Amino acid sequence: MAEFKRPSLASGVYYQDPKAALEWLEKAFGFEPVMVVINEDGTLGHSEMRFGDGLIYVGREWDDDHKSPASLGGKNTQSIHIQVESGLDALVERAKQAGAKVLREPADQFYGDRSAMVADPEGHIWSFGQTLKEMSYEEMKVAGNRIDVRERL
Amino acid sequence: MAHPIGFQPSVIYQDPKAAIAWLEAAFGFETALYIEDEAGGFVHCQMRYGGALISIGLEWDEDFKSPLKLCGKNTQLTTINIPGDVDAHCERARAAGAVIVAEPNTQFYGARVYRCRDLEGHNWSISQAVEDVSREAAEQRVEGMKITGWI
Repeated sequence: MAEFKRPSLASGVYYQDPKAALEWLEKAFGFEPVMVVINEDGTLGHSEMRFGDGLIYVGREWDDDHKSPASLGGKNTQSIHIQVESGLDALVERAKQAGAKVLREPADQFYGDRSAMVADPEGHIWSFGQTLKEMSYEEMKVAGNRIDVRERL
Repeated sequence: MAHPIGFQPSVIYQDPKAAIAWLEAAFGFETALYIEDEAGGFVHCQMRYGGALISIGLEWDEDFKSPLKLCGKNTQLTTINIPGDVDAHCERARAAGAVIVAEPNTQFYGARVYRCRDLEGHNWSISQAVEDVSREAAEQRVEGMKITGWI
């Protein structure tokens, strides 16, 4: 238990083949596997991957409520957004080479970010963002036309 | 508005406005950003907990559905790592209408954890670190388990 502090929120992502997913996520997105727990029967008990300050858990379909999109006709009940400091286009290209399906090619957005969206081999959807221009809520409101942006803290 | 570098979960609801109120009441999440259109329709919301952000989203595309549409199935689960008393957190969530799937229980790896379902059937796992357990000690507690890496 050293320098890394667990973030306040961390997603568990479910796969039919979690061992293959661990390898794929490292190859495609550059996530770093930091913990792998193997049960006595050889199945994956638990695993953790890091990216920046973020942490995810990669797991199997461990009960009837937790399923891969591959078991649900490609539906996702949650997805994960990955915010990068730089290199968004290269990261999407790397994912594409690893077999990701690009749902949205990288494009600049009105709110100052460049973003893209891909699906992994089991259909989990991942979005990527990179801030190109820091914008205030007022600026976003103008750029977004007809939308109301409010900060309520 | 700069996103923190790293991961941000995005959770899909049929009724995101109701979800926002519920997540505030049950888990103490705070609305950090709320966007609606001219007609008052929901566009996007981000809520904050600890140093992390989470997006609350609509079923905006065929691929994104609430568990309500999928017989309660979840493709992901969000873990909330809390600094405080997990038993009290569980009681607050229960009072807000959470269905407790697993009551608070201390796990072999040194965390006390409970799991619940929210108003649309998303599963959440809430965890409080209660003991510093080494990899070797954790391995000894579960027969046949092999751990590589440990944080």
